Amino acid sequence: MTDISGFGYHGKILEIDLSSGRVANKELDPRMAADYLGGRGLASKLFFDSVDPQCDPLGPDNVMVIATSPLLGTNAPTACRGHLVFKSPLTGIIGSSNSGGSWAAVFKATGYDALVIKGKAKEPVVVEVRPDKVEIVPARELWGLNVPETTDRLSEGKPGRKILCIGPAGENRVRFAAVMNDKNRAYGRSGPGAVWGSKNLKAVVVSGKEKIAVQDQERYQSGLDQAQYLLRQAPITKRLLKELGTAGLIKLIAIIDMLPRKNFQDVTHSEEDLDRVSGEALRDKILDKAGACFRCPLACQRHTQVGGKKGEGPEYETMIMMGPQCGIYDLEAIAKANYLCNELGMDTMSLGGTIACAMELFEKGALNKDDTGGMELRFGNAAVLEKLAEMIAFRKGIGDQLAEGSLRMAKFYEQPELSMSVKGLEIPAYDPRSSFTQALGYMTSPTGACHLRGGYAVSLAFFGGAREIPRFSLQQAAVAVRNLQNLGILQDSLGICRFTGFAFSTDPWARMASGATGLDFSTKKLDQIANRIASLERIFNLAAGATAEDDTLPERFSKEPIIVGGKERVVSKETMERMRSDYYEARGWDGQGRPKGETIAALFGTKVPGTDRMK
Amino acid sequence: MSDKWKKSEELIRLYQAVGKAALTYDIEDSHSGNIATRLKDEKGQDRMAITATGSQKGDLEPDQICLPAIDRADFGYYKASSETDIHAKILSLPGVSASMHGHNKELTIATLDDLDKPAQPESFVPIDPLGWRYLKGEVPVDWFAVPSGSPEMTEKIPARLKDHPVTSIQGHGAFAKGRNIQEAFFLLCIANNSGYIVNLCRKLKVDIEKLRKLIQENPAEYFSHPLPDYQVEGDQAADFADDEELAKEFRKAGARIFESRLSPFYTGSISLRGVRTMFYAPKAAMPRELGGPLLELLLSDDGKDRELAIHRAIYAESDFQTIMHCYIPEAEALSHFIAPGERGLPERMVPVDAEGSFLYLVIPILPPKFELGELIRLLHDYKVVIVRGGGVWAVGAQSVSEALHHPSSVREICLYRIGAFERGLDLSKMEPKKAKKW
Repeated sequence: MTDISGFGYHGKILEIDLSSGRVANKELDPRMAADYLGGRGLASKLFFDSVDPQCDPLGPDNVMVIATSPLLGTNAPTACRGHLVFKSPLTGIIGSSNSGGSWAAVFKATGYDALVIKGKAKEPVVVEVRPDKVEIVPARELWGLNVPETTDRLSEGKPGRKILCIGPAGENRVRFAAVMNDKNRAYGRSGPGAVWGSKNLKAVVVSGKEKIAVQDQERYQSGLDQAQYLLRQAPITKRLLKELGTAGLIKLIAIIDMLPRKNFQDVTHSEEDLDRVSGEALRDKILDKAGACFRCPLACQRHTQVGGKKGEGPEYETMIMMGPQCGIYDLEAIAKANYLCNELGMDTMSLGGTIACAMELFEKGALNKDDTGGMELRFGNAAVLEKLAEMIAFRKGIGDQLAEGSLRMAKFYEQPELSMSVKGLEIPAYDPRSSFTQALGYMTSPTGACHLRGGYAVSLAFFGGAREIPRFSLQQAAVAVRNLQNLGILQDSLGICRFTGFAFSTDPWARMASGATGLDFSTKKLDQIANRIASLERIFNLAAGATAEDDTLPERFSKEPIIVGGKERVVSKETMERMRSDYYEARGWDGQGRPKGETIAALFGTKVPGTDRMK
Repeated sequence: MSDKWKKSEELIRLYQAVGKAALTYDIEDSHSGNIATRLKDEKGQDRMAITATGSQKGDLEPDQICLPAIDRADFGYYKASSETDIHAKILSLPGVSASMHGHNKELTIATLDDLDKPAQPESFVPIDPLGWRYLKGEVPVDWFAVPSGSPEMTEKIPARLKDHPVTSIQGHGAFAKGRNIQEAFFLLCIANNSGYIVNLCRKLKVDIEKLRKLIQENPAEYFSHPLPDYQVEGDQAADFADDEELAKEFRKAGARIFESRLSPFYTGSISLRGVRTMFYAPKAAMPRELGGPLLELLLSDDGKDRELAIHRAIYAESDFQTIMHCYIPEAEALSHFIAPGERGLPERMVPVDAEGSFLYLVIPILPPKFELGELIRLLHDYKVVIVRGGGVWAVGAQSVSEALHHPSSVREICLYRIGAFERGLDLSKMEPKKAKKW
């Protein structure tokens, strides 16, 4: 295998054991780079090789891997994203979270491709990474500070430093606590913040100017030219995201009867209500300015201000999960609660889903005022949002139950069917009854119900351009979801934004990645890499205890119809079983969702450790 | 009222559909051509159904389908086509149940000459795979002093059609025979497409006579896989009609292929990979009103159909979800085009238009006898590949529509290259520099 360092990769992995304080520089195996690309793929492989799938997610044996991609450090559009892989304290399976912002790009400039964090520090610490030095620094004085305070303290007087940190929610091991960068950009899903809290890791501070070169400029440039042209051409990437942010999707999703309300009880919203929480309302009422992640031409960030307070968002998911999902159409209340979540370091999607579940439990009488400390936890009560966010982050009162996530909470109150989650991860703001691909995506996402790890299926259903597919074609769903999930795996592994998928698929990236590294990242190779990563994640989950039974949707979606295009729609048990079985087949997995021997041989060549523990 | 004027709804719909499709494909003008079939009346007597003289084929009314006796004059002849005699004789040929006459402009242009008349024109020899296969390598061309409905034509045309699927009347149009109307229409479309390709090649200064000679000497070397016999059975098959949305996607794509001339009537193929089976349209270019067979087939099968085998091989070696194969005439012509300054046949086509050059830096061109592995490799890298003598293959990761986008763009890209060359522009200057090394 040729030496890869300098072209796309630095060829170095930083490994830190917080228990022993040991810091090690390791070489990035070129074969691993060729087989797993970077970002999510590289992080998953490094994680898989170093963790016991049966470990306690909040114990010292859990491992947190942060990886970048070979495109970070180039001028590829949106190439700024980092990827975290860990065992999730919310779901008990693989946690996989991706974020933009600027931290990952600066981490790459420290001269490392990935960071592996093991063990548990005896006291709160900050890890500082520079090209010439890596330090584990005691940080007791930072414990208890929120995200902006931590960020300001660590970057004060030190320009060029970028901070990745947790807030009180992570410290208190809220199971859906986030890791934040640039104060407002979240590695949100699956609870990475709780893992950091369990390791007494408050922040990772990075600074550096190490560069990588492009091996074949001409090849790289041909992909770049095409990507830039297509981004400037597609309506969503050239205009909608820039002008309305992700919340600009709200009315579009409502039009296709996919926008959930009141814990997925229906998808019906009045025009007036929607007008209060739409992207247009955000622009007209609270927008301060638009912003962008590092190297991103899409500029979908919304910097807003409400009641004298400034912050970012709310994004589409936050707006719906903390808004209509809770029966709330109050933009200011949602925005303020969102600011607070960012400060405290929490995933607003799981938080919204958990509050919506609590509200339904309350309305059904499973929860009462004695449980809530006198709070009227009813749908539509916007006044509870901020209060609950605070109680959750600090595990106060009923907040302690909500901090466990909706499934554990609903089980505690003996109504687990009211948790709208898959494998314990709260379902995002697209109703699966509105599209078979969306439903199957949630069912088979390796991390639980994630719209991104499950394949960004909504783009297939409504605004995929030429790639749009029928929403209710059973025959087409399985392969389409596999392919879309694979596209997502590649985007996560290339460190680029999901939204580029509105303009183009993998072709320009294949040329850019091949040009940057000199390795063969042709689209055929990329397809193989995506399949390899998907099966690796699956093997981990099976070894961690997941089964085919977990690849399903909550009962509500098969029993309670919604109206889609004038027709009653559910995802029946039979449909779910058929799609799941088709999907397994398309992936080369057996009837129980276990990668078959020939699949393992084709993707990995040799026996993969952990397959013997697949349930 | 006699039953002689009563036609089944099915017959009326079929005539209307073929009439519209013929107008769409521009092998008829407003009033030209005629369509005829042989049928038996309730008494078991041979009769024909033929379009009325002067009827608009794009808007046929039920009473513009006439039912004269096939072997004698009766009142049905008063309204019927002026070429009814010719059709009656064609329909009397063994195995023939339908005949059609069209104003195939491209074939007609390709067979014009400026010889002093009377003279016997040369036969038309197609240089494309569809024409070579389905026209059996030759379309006879005849000159007539009265080239419309004349007794000379009534003698000559059925005689020509004894041995040929299609025959042409110089400066007028063509007649085709078929086992059903669809086959006769199919042959007229193929003939026109072949004429179009020859006309394009002339514009591109391709040495057509040399090419024809080479093809006639060794046709197997100049065309891709052997094409199957035209099937008249099973056009109504609808194996996956229960998945309404998927069936609709196929029909939409099929209609677009036909209407946008991405492939002649009932040629090409579309497939979508399911999990254990594939969904397959073996006659991809399907007019809206006519539809075509939609089949569900096993993904792995050792059948002898080469076209299907290519679909299956692509799926076996990739994650693509959709495949489309079209016979784009402009692409076929350009695959023979040796650009000024170049020596050999092209191995790729570089778009010279703005959108094409961003969407496709280059489009590979494979020789007729390509390696399947090479086609699959190129489809991974380029998503669309032209095969000289073998059509255009395209793939999609998700949708039929995604695969359709490629041949549709390729046709446009081809038209711009041909147009630029016709205008005398320097193609090498127009091709993006970055594409030259790609």
